Amino acid sequence: MAKKQNQTSSFVLRFTQKIFKDDDGESNVQWRGKITHVQDDEALNFSEMKDAMTFMQSKLSDLTLSSIDGKSEEEKEGILSKSFDIWKKMATQYPKFVMQAIKDPKTGVTQIQEQISQVGDEISQKMELDSYKPASKSDLKSMMEMMEQMNKQITALGKKVDKLSKSNKSK
Amino acid sequence: MKSLDKRLDKILEKKSKASLWILTLGKFEVHRSGEPIPAKEWGRDKTLQLFQYLVTARKRNGLHKEQIITRIWEDAGQKDGDRDFKVALHGMVKTLEPNRKSRTDAKYITRQGLTYQLAMEEIWLDVEVLDELVTLANEALHDENKIAKKAYKAALEIYNGIYLPNRIYNDWTSAERERIQMLAITAHTTLAELLLEKKPMESIRLAQEALQTDPTWEDAYRIQMQGYLNSGNRPQALKTYKKCKTILDKEFGIEPLPETKALLQRIENL
Repeated sequence: MAKKQNQTSSFVLRFTQKIFKDDDGESNVQWRGKITHVQDDEALNFSEMKDAMTFMQSKLSDLTLSSIDGKSEEEKEGILSKSFDIWKKMATQYPKFVMQAIKDPKTGVTQIQEQISQVGDEISQKMELDSYKPASKSDLKSMMEMMEQMNKQITALGKKVDKLSKSNKSK
Repeated sequence: MKSLDKRLDKILEKKSKASLWILTLGKFEVHRSGEPIPAKEWGRDKTLQLFQYLVTARKRNGLHKEQIITRIWEDAGQKDGDRDFKVALHGMVKTLEPNRKSRTDAKYITRQGLTYQLAMEEIWLDVEVLDELVTLANEALHDENKIAKKAYKAALEIYNGIYLPNRIYNDWTSAERERIQMLAITAHTTLAELLLEKKPMESIRLAQEALQTDPTWEDAYRIQMQGYLNSGNRPQALKTYKKCKTILDKEFGIEPLPETKALLQRIENL
């Protein structure tokens, strides 16, 4: 059985607030964040929460993979397939929703909300429909970046799982 | 309320009056009557863990034995946990007071039923003193800058690095480490600002120390830019802005604040 400590991932989050006046004299607030994964002391600076979430997801998927080492084949398959279900939903459906949301913001957002609530509590924050507006060029750019990032993570996760399967077969 | 300078003197006198000194910043060391306790005297690592946990959780009034065991030895079952705790407690008290007579109370550990805590009135602890000094310096700031400078300087003399560096992977130390790092950055940058006019080179050095703790701390770059400007080194001030811009872009994907850009503008217009 894996040790309890090996089942834990702790994160320290630091937010620094900057209040300033922009070029038009408007007051503005900016948040700068730093997230540190305690168990390996790796850290990431971020200005958008999604980057912190991605960092946490990556550390948590590492934790899942390290935890199933030594379990029976049947158990491993069960845990991996549950884990993959979440990733698959994110990978296959999220980009589709995003594209839809670009074309038809209100319907798209409603569908994303439904999907988010299915995926799990950790990402079940609600979005304000009334304040939703058609995506700007920079919104599109950041969405594409997010999708690319997710794609990379899924590829990396796939590689780790392949490696794990190979090492199990060779045992 | 006592005047700030008297309070400052009292904080600074504490060390000479305490018989146990605990150093946690940059390294872990305990001094018994002025002499460092050799590492091997602690024996098992669990003894050291228990002591360091009591140091870390000193602000909580009395920790129950079960709480301590759950927090630092998560894997231990009740029986093993109880045994480990008993052995570690005995080892810790023996290390701190090797000549204590049996059946007398421990001097540095207060026990009430099944709760334990450090007897802080007998102890000089670096993080505790650093905390008190920065708090006092912040109070003195603006109205009594001379005292503020003295207190910040004393605090930074104590700061020798991160909190319990040998325990960075233990999550029960993380909150305290983060809190102390922020105190240190504040002390470095505030003192650097106070010295900008008369000692710009010292300001630059202090800001550099803050940047070693957090290379994205924009205030520290601005202090350095102003410091270089005050000491007549305009090219270095411009270089510092570039460094700041590069790191903010790389780490956050953002531009420097308008305040930093305005300072750049002033330097460029000279």
